[in-house]
Amino acid sequence: MSSESLVLILGMAIVTFIPRFFPLLLLSKKEISPSFSRWMSFIPVSIFAALVASDIFFWESSFSLHPFRNIKVIPSILVFVVAYKTKSLLWSMIAGVLAMALLYIFL
Amino acid sequence: MKNVTVMSGMRASMPIMASYIALGIACGIVLYDAGVSVLAIFLMSALVYAGAAQFLTGSMVALGAAVPSVILMVFFLNLRHILMSASISRYVKNKSLGFLGLFGHTLSDESFGINYSRFQTEHWTANEAMVTSLLNYSAWTLSTVLGGIIGSQFTINTLIMNYALIAMFICMMVMQFVSKAHIIAGIVSVVLSVVLTAVLKHNIALVIATVLASFIGYYLENNAVEGGVKANE
Repeated sequence: MSSESLVLILGMAIVTFIPRFFPLLLLSKKEISPSFSRWMSFIPVSIFAALVASDIFFWESSFSLHPFRNIKVIPSILVFVVAYKTKSLLWSMIAGVLAMALLYIFL
Repeated sequence: MKNVTVMSGMRASMPIMASYIALGIACGIVLYDAGVSVLAIFLMSALVYAGAAQFLTGSMVALGAAVPSVILMVFFLNLRHILMSASISRYVKNKSLGFLGLFGHTLSDESFGINYSRFQTEHWTANEAMVTSLLNYSAWTLSTVLGGIIGSQFTINTLIMNYALIAMFICMMVMQFVSKAHIIAGIVSVVLSVVLTAVLKHNIALVIATVLASFIGYYLENNAVEGGVKANE
Protein backbone atom coordinates (compact mmCIF):
# COMPACT_ATOMS: atom_id res chain seq x y z
CA MET A 1 0.00 0.00 0.00
CA SER A 2 1.39 3.43 -0.94
CA SER A 3 2.21 5.96 1.78
CA GLU A 4 -0.21 8.36 0.07
CA SER A 5 -3.18 6.06 0.67
CA LEU A 6 -2.05 5.50 4.27
CA VAL A 7 -1.97 9.29 4.85
CA LEU A 8 -5.39 9.58 3.21
CA ILE A 9 -6.92 6.85 5.40
CA LEU A 10 -5.39 8.19 8.64
CA GLY A 11 -6.49 11.74 7.80
CA MET A 12 -10.03 10.55 7.08
CA ALA A 13 -10.00 8.50 10.30
CA ILE A 14 -9.01 11.51 12.45
CA VAL A 15 -11.52 13.99 10.98
CA THR A 16 -14.28 11.37 11.29
CA PHE A 17 -13.46 10.30 14.86
CA ILE A 18 -13.36 13.84 16.33
CA PRO A 19 -17.04 14.80 15.73
CA ARG A 20 -18.23 11.32 16.73
CA PHE A 21 -16.24 10.93 19.94
CA PHE A 22 -15.71 14.31 21.62
CA PRO A 23 -19.38 15.30 22.08
CA LEU A 24 -19.91 11.84 23.61
CA LEU A 25 -17.03 12.41 26.02
CA LEU A 26 -17.65 16.07 26.91
CA LEU A 27 -21.41 16.51 26.77
CA SER A 28 -22.42 13.92 29.31
CA LYS A 29 -22.17 16.82 31.78
CA LYS A 30 -22.57 20.01 29.72
CA GLU A 31 -25.27 20.89 27.16
CA ILE A 32 -24.42 22.01 23.61
CA SER A 33 -25.28 25.70 22.91
CA PRO A 34 -28.76 25.87 21.31
CA SER A 35 -27.81 28.36 18.58
CA PHE A 36 -24.72 26.33 17.61
CA SER A 37 -26.79 23.19 17.42
CA ARG A 38 -29.48 24.98 15.36
CA TRP A 39 -26.85 26.13 12.86
CA MET A 40 -25.34 22.62 12.80
CA SER A 41 -28.73 21.16 11.91
CA PHE A 42 -28.45 22.93 8.51
CA ILE A 43 -25.07 21.35 7.64
CA PRO A 44 -26.33 17.92 6.49
CA VAL A 45 -29.07 19.17 4.15
CA SER A 46 -26.68 21.76 2.67
CA ILE A 47 -23.82 19.36 2.07
CA PHE A 48 -26.00 16.62 0.58
CA ALA A 49 -27.70 19.14 -1.72
CA ALA A 50 -24.31 20.52 -2.82
CA LEU A 51 -22.88 17.04 -3.46
CA VAL A 52 -25.95 15.92 -5.41
CA ALA A 53 -26.29 19.10 -7.50
CA SER A 54 -22.61 19.35 -8.43
CA ASP A 55 -22.82 15.79 -9.73
CA ILE A 56 -26.21 15.33 -11.41
CA PHE A 57 -26.39 18.69 -13.22
CA PHE A 58 -23.04 18.21 -14.93
CA TRP A 59 -22.27 15.84 -17.78
CA GLU A 60 -18.71 15.55 -19.09
CA SER A 61 -17.75 18.63 -17.02
CA SER A 62 -20.37 20.99 -18.43
CA PHE A 63 -23.76 22.03 -17.08
CA SER A 64 -26.56 20.04 -18.73
CA LEU A 65 -30.23 19.40 -17.96
CA HIS A 66 -30.89 17.54 -21.24
CA PRO A 67 -32.54 14.28 -20.06
CA PHE A 68 -31.10 12.16 -22.89
CA ARG A 69 -27.61 13.64 -23.05
CA ASN A 70 -27.16 13.79 -19.28
CA ILE A 71 -28.52 10.37 -18.30
CA LYS A 72 -28.35 11.15 -14.56
CA VAL A 73 -31.35 13.54 -14.75
CA ILE A 74 -34.18 10.98 -15.01
CA PRO A 75 -32.82 8.48 -12.41
CA SER A 76 -32.33 11.41 -10.00
CA ILE A 77 -35.98 12.46 -10.27
CA LEU A 78 -37.01 8.84 -9.70
CA VAL A 79 -34.70 8.47 -6.66
CA PHE A 80 -36.07 11.70 -5.20
CA VAL A 81 -39.61 10.31 -5.37
CA VAL A 82 -38.60 6.88 -4.01
CA ALA A 83 -36.60 8.49 -1.18
CA TYR A 84 -39.52 10.74 -0.28
CA LYS A 85 -41.99 7.83 -0.21
CA THR A 86 -39.84 5.13 1.46
CA LYS A 87 -37.13 7.06 3.42
CA SER A 88 -35.00 3.99 2.72
CA LEU A 89 -31.36 4.18 1.60
CA LEU A 90 -31.50 0.69 0.17
CA TRP A 91 -34.61 1.23 -1.98
CA SER A 92 -33.32 4.60 -3.19
CA MET A 93 -30.06 3.00 -4.20
CA ILE A 94 -31.70 0.05 -5.97
CA ALA A 95 -34.11 2.36 -7.87
CA GLY A 96 -31.30 4.70 -8.92
CA VAL A 97 -28.84 2.05 -10.02
CA LEU A 98 -31.51 0.12 -11.98
CA ALA A 99 -32.72 3.29 -13.73
CA MET A 100 -29.12 4.22 -14.62
CA ALA A 101 -28.42 0.73 -15.93
CA LEU A 102 -31.58 0.72 -18.12
CA LEU A 103 -30.86 4.18 -19.58
CA TYR A 104 -27.23 3.23 -20.18
CA ILE A 105 -28.24 0.10 -22.08
CA PHE A 106 -31.01 1.69 -24.17
CA LEU A 107 -29.52 5.09 -25.00
CA MET B 1 -21.81 -9.64 28.55
CA LYS B 2 -25.01 -11.69 28.91
CA ASN B 3 -26.41 -13.80 26.08
CA VAL B 4 -29.73 -11.93 26.29
CA THR B 5 -27.91 -8.65 25.65
CA VAL B 6 -26.14 -10.08 22.61
CA MET B 7 -29.39 -11.54 21.22
CA SER B 8 -31.44 -8.35 21.51
CA GLY B 9 -28.59 -6.25 20.11
CA MET B 10 -28.41 -8.68 17.20
CA ARG B 11 -32.16 -8.50 16.52
CA ALA B 12 -31.97 -4.69 16.39
CA SER B 13 -29.08 -4.72 13.93
CA MET B 14 -30.51 -7.27 11.43
CA PRO B 15 -32.25 -4.85 9.02
CA ILE B 16 -29.29 -2.46 9.10
CA MET B 17 -26.79 -5.25 8.49
CA ALA B 18 -28.79 -6.34 5.43
CA SER B 19 -28.61 -2.89 3.85
CA TYR B 20 -24.95 -2.43 4.89
CA ILE B 21 -24.02 -5.63 3.08
CA ALA B 22 -25.59 -4.39 -0.19
CA LEU B 23 -24.17 -0.86 0.14
CA GLY B 24 -20.80 -2.17 1.36
CA ILE B 25 -20.32 -4.43 -1.65
CA ALA B 26 -21.16 -1.51 -3.98
CA CYS B 27 -18.74 0.74 -2.07
CA GLY B 28 -15.94 -1.83 -2.23
CA ILE B 29 -16.38 -2.15 -6.00
CA VAL B 30 -16.24 1.64 -6.46
CA LEU B 31 -13.14 1.99 -4.25
CA TYR B 32 -11.29 -0.85 -5.97
CA ASP B 33 -12.07 0.66 -9.36
CA ALA B 34 -10.70 4.03 -8.15
CA GLY B 35 -7.38 2.27 -7.49
CA VAL B 36 -7.71 1.54 -3.76
CA SER B 37 -6.29 -1.92 -2.93
CA VAL B 38 -8.30 -4.55 -1.01
CA LEU B 39 -5.99 -4.11 2.03
CA ALA B 40 -6.50 -0.32 1.92
CA ILE B 41 -10.29 -0.85 1.61
CA PHE B 42 -10.17 -3.00 4.76
CA LEU B 43 -8.13 -0.39 6.66
CA MET B 44 -10.38 2.43 5.49
CA SER B 45 -13.56 0.64 6.60
CA ALA B 46 -12.04 -0.42 9.93
CA LEU B 47 -10.43 2.93 10.79
CA VAL B 48 -12.80 5.45 9.16
CA TYR B 49 -16.13 3.54 8.98
CA ALA B 50 -18.21 6.12 7.14
CA GLY B 51 -20.18 4.84 4.14
CA ALA B 52 -21.02 8.10 2.42
CA ALA B 53 -17.49 9.43 2.97
CA GLN B 54 -15.93 6.24 1.59
CA PHE B 55 -18.10 6.34 -1.55
CA LEU B 56 -17.19 10.00 -1.99
CA THR B 57 -13.50 9.18 -1.56
CA GLY B 58 -13.84 6.60 -4.33
CA SER B 59 -15.28 9.09 -6.79
CA MET B 60 -12.84 11.88 -5.79
CA VAL B 61 -9.78 9.63 -5.99
CA ALA B 62 -10.95 8.37 -9.39
CA LEU B 63 -11.07 12.00 -10.58
CA GLY B 64 -7.52 12.55 -9.30
CA ALA B 65 -8.40 14.81 -6.34
CA ALA B 66 -5.56 15.75 -3.95
CA VAL B 67 -5.41 14.09 -0.50
CA PRO B 68 -6.04 17.31 1.53
CA SER B 69 -9.18 18.18 -0.44
CA VAL B 70 -10.58 14.65 0.03
CA ILE B 71 -9.93 14.89 3.80
CA LEU B 72 -11.59 18.34 3.94
CA MET B 73 -14.72 17.02 2.19
CA VAL B 74 -14.83 14.00 4.50
CA PHE B 75 -14.54 16.35 7.48
CA PHE B 76 -17.53 18.44 6.36
CA LEU B 77 -19.51 15.35 5.41
CA ASN B 78 -19.03 13.78 8.84
CA LEU B 79 -19.52 16.95 10.91
CA ARG B 80 -23.19 15.96 11.12
CA HIS B 81 -22.20 13.29 13.65
CA ILE B 82 -21.55 16.01 16.27
CA LEU B 83 -25.29 16.33 16.73
CA MET B 84 -25.86 12.58 16.96
CA SER B 85 -22.96 12.06 19.36
CA ALA B 86 -24.20 14.96 21.52
CA SER B 87 -27.77 13.71 21.69
CA ILE B 88 -26.93 10.08 22.47
CA SER B 89 -24.30 11.02 25.10
CA ARG B 90 -26.82 11.13 27.95
CA TYR B 91 -27.52 7.40 27.53
CA VAL B 92 -23.91 6.27 27.94
CA LYS B 93 -22.98 8.22 31.07
CA ASN B 94 -20.60 6.57 33.56
CA LYS B 95 -19.10 4.35 30.87
CA SER B 96 -15.34 3.85 30.59
CA LEU B 97 -13.19 5.83 28.17
CA GLY B 98 -12.63 2.68 26.10
CA PHE B 99 -16.38 2.08 25.82
CA LEU B 100 -17.00 5.69 24.74
CA GLY B 101 -14.12 5.52 22.25
CA LEU B 102 -15.47 2.39 20.58
CA PHE B 103 -19.08 3.59 20.74
CA GLY B 104 -18.07 6.92 19.16
CA HIS B 105 -15.97 5.25 16.48
CA THR B 106 -18.88 2.99 15.44
CA LEU B 107 -21.54 5.75 15.55
CA SER B 108 -22.95 5.70 12.01
CA ASP B 109 -26.20 7.39 10.91
CA GLU B 110 -28.03 4.07 11.07
CA SER B 111 -26.53 2.87 14.38
CA PHE B 112 -27.44 6.21 15.89
CA GLY B 113 -30.96 6.04 14.44
CA ILE B 114 -31.80 2.58 15.76
CA ASN B 115 -30.14 3.00 19.16
CA TYR B 116 -31.51 6.47 19.82
CA SER B 117 -35.09 5.44 19.05
CA ARG B 118 -34.73 2.35 21.29
CA PHE B 119 -33.24 4.39 24.15
CA GLN B 120 -36.23 6.70 23.94
CA THR B 121 -39.01 4.14 23.63
CA GLU B 122 -38.02 1.03 25.55
CA HIS B 123 -35.62 -0.34 28.12
CA TRP B 124 -32.43 -0.29 26.08
CA THR B 125 -29.03 -0.61 27.74
CA ALA B 126 -25.71 0.87 26.65
CA ASN B 127 -24.39 -2.69 26.22
CA GLU B 128 -27.21 -3.64 23.85
CA ALA B 129 -26.52 -0.44 21.89
CA MET B 130 -22.85 -1.39 21.71
CA VAL B 131 -23.65 -4.88 20.37
CA THR B 132 -25.86 -3.35 17.66
CA SER B 133 -23.19 -0.81 16.69
CA LEU B 134 -20.42 -3.42 16.58
CA LEU B 135 -22.46 -5.80 14.41
CA ASN B 136 -23.28 -3.02 11.94
CA TYR B 137 -19.60 -2.06 11.91
CA SER B 138 -18.49 -5.65 11.22
CA ALA B 139 -21.09 -6.10 8.45
CA TRP B 140 -19.88 -2.90 6.76
CA THR B 141 -16.18 -3.71 7.03
CA LEU B 142 -16.51 -7.28 5.75
CA SER B 143 -18.84 -6.40 2.87
CA THR B 144 -16.60 -3.57 1.58
CA VAL B 145 -13.70 -6.06 1.54
CA LEU B 146 -15.95 -8.50 -0.33
CA GLY B 147 -16.84 -5.71 -2.78
CA GLY B 148 -13.13 -5.04 -3.31
CA ILE B 149 -12.50 -8.72 -4.06
CA ILE B 150 -15.48 -8.81 -6.47
CA GLY B 151 -14.17 -5.64 -8.12
CA SER B 152 -10.74 -7.23 -8.57
CA GLN B 153 -12.26 -10.27 -10.36
CA PHE B 154 -14.91 -8.71 -12.61
CA THR B 155 -15.21 -5.58 -14.70
CA ILE B 156 -18.20 -3.60 -13.47
CA ASN B 157 -19.53 -0.41 -15.01
CA THR B 158 -18.56 2.23 -12.44
CA LEU B 159 -20.66 5.01 -13.99
CA ILE B 160 -23.61 2.95 -12.83
CA MET B 161 -22.08 1.81 -9.49
CA ASN B 162 -21.04 5.37 -8.67
CA TYR B 163 -24.63 6.39 -9.09
CA ALA B 164 -25.37 4.39 -5.91
CA LEU B 165 -23.57 7.21 -4.06
CA ILE B 166 -25.74 9.91 -5.62
CA ALA B 167 -28.90 7.91 -4.84
CA MET B 168 -27.70 7.60 -1.24
CA PHE B 169 -27.04 11.36 -0.99
CA ILE B 170 -30.45 12.20 -2.51
CA CYS B 171 -32.12 9.98 0.09
CA MET B 172 -30.06 11.44 2.96
CA MET B 173 -30.94 14.96 1.72
CA VAL B 174 -34.67 14.16 1.57
CA MET B 175 -34.54 12.78 5.13
CA GLN B 176 -33.21 16.19 6.25
CA PHE B 177 -36.26 18.07 4.94
CA VAL B 178 -37.58 18.63 8.46
CA SER B 179 -38.70 22.27 8.11
CA LYS B 180 -39.25 24.94 5.43
CA ALA B 181 -35.97 26.56 6.40
CA HIS B 182 -34.14 23.26 5.83
CA ILE B 183 -35.72 22.84 2.37
CA ILE B 184 -34.75 26.42 1.46
CA ALA B 185 -31.18 25.79 2.67
CA GLY B 186 -31.10 22.75 0.38
CA ILE B 187 -32.33 24.73 -2.64
CA VAL B 188 -29.84 27.55 -1.95
CA SER B 189 -27.05 24.99 -1.70
CA VAL B 190 -28.07 23.42 -5.05
CA VAL B 191 -27.92 26.82 -6.81
CA LEU B 192 -24.69 27.93 -5.13
CA SER B 193 -22.89 24.64 -5.75
CA VAL B 194 -23.84 24.58 -9.45
CA VAL B 195 -22.79 28.22 -10.01
CA LEU B 196 -19.60 27.95 -7.95
CA THR B 197 -18.61 24.61 -9.51
CA ALA B 198 -19.06 26.10 -13.01
CA VAL B 199 -17.02 29.19 -12.09
CA LEU B 200 -14.28 27.79 -9.83
CA LYS B 201 -13.98 24.29 -11.38
CA HIS B 202 -12.74 23.00 -8.01
CA ASN B 203 -14.48 21.02 -5.26
CA ILE B 204 -13.84 23.81 -2.73
CA ALA B 205 -17.06 25.15 -4.35
CA LEU B 206 -19.00 22.51 -2.39
CA VAL B 207 -17.51 23.60 0.94
CA ILE B 208 -18.33 27.27 0.26
CA ALA B 209 -21.87 26.39 -0.87
CA THR B 210 -22.43 24.25 2.25
CA VAL B 211 -21.25 26.88 4.71
CA LEU B 212 -23.18 29.74 3.04
CA ALA B 213 -26.40 27.73 2.66
CA SER B 214 -26.29 26.54 6.29
CA PHE B 215 -25.95 30.16 7.52
CA ILE B 216 -28.82 31.28 5.27
CA GLY B 217 -31.03 28.47 6.62
CA TYR B 218 -30.10 29.36 10.20
CA TYR B 219 -30.78 33.08 9.56
CA LEU B 220 -34.18 32.31 7.99
CA GLU B 221 -35.19 30.08 10.89
CA ASN B 222 -34.16 32.68 13.48
CA ASN B 223 -36.12 35.40 11.68
CA ALA B 224 -39.13 33.14 11.28
CA VAL B 225 -39.08 32.47 15.05
CA GLU B 226 -38.86 36.21 15.84
CA GLY B 227 -41.53 37.03 13.24
CA GLY B 228 -43.78 34.38 14.77
CA VAL B 229 -43.35 35.88 18.24
CA LYS B 230 -44.14 39.37 16.94
CA ALA B 231 -47.22 38.11 15.13
CA ASN B 232 -48.47 36.57 18.37
CA GLU B 233 -48.01 39.73 20.40
